[in-house]
Amino acid sequence: MLELLEKEQAAYEEHKTELLGRAKGKFVLIKDNKVEDVFDSNMDAIRQGYERFGNVPFLVKRIQELEKPLDFTSNLLGV
Amino acid sequence: MPSFTAQVPNLHVIGPVVEVQVAVGSVLEGVLTSNGEPIPTPITASAMIDTGATGTVIRQEMPGQLGLNPVGTAMINTPSSEGVECYEYLVRLFFQNNVVIETLAIGAPLQGQHIQCLIGRDVLAHGVLIYVGYTNTFTLSF
Repeated sequence: MLELLEKEQAAYEEHKTELLGRAKGKFVLIKDNKVEDVFDSNMDAIRQGYERFGNVPFLVKRIQELEKPLDFTSNLLGV
Repeated sequence: MPSFTAQVPNLHVIGPVVEVQVAVGSVLEGVLTSNGEPIPTPITASAMIDTGATGTVIRQEMPGQLGLNPVGTAMINTPSSEGVECYEYLVRLFFQNNVVIETLAIGAPLQGQHIQCLIGRDVLAHGVLIYVGYTNTFTLSF
């Protein structure tokens, strides 16, 4: 669990069905337990996050049924 | 089209490694400036251009050094693990010749001390990578 965004991730899961229904493929901005807004691009959402909250943790996430992992073939990554 | 060419001895052994400056994203820089807060000094990093990486990675200590907070999360698969969750940070990468790319980077541990950053296909998506093995050179253009 990523502690800095624990509340935001829980809020995303709580609102996921509703978000999929109205904004699938877009990007949601969540701060603490609150879904703030939905945007067409992740950069727009991040910009709004910084402008509204400043330099604090917030969650921007693509609204999708299944999250596709990023792949790394190199063993330089230590995870 | 801004570009740079780097020459690396034993390119096939070391790989396409280039020095970059990692800095906070432009939006955060603007917010810090309007609040009268200091802008963190960019960090010099050795970066490996990695066509096997979907995304860009910065060493996990770097966000703290830059005063960055996460703006998202990503799940990653590596040769030794699947579905590991990591934080994402908005950063700017300054290459040679004033080539600047703003992207989301994953904070994660990187093996060894010589690489602090992996340049993934999210960055390469903006440009052209030319790898010339027999001259030990590579060129990145955007």
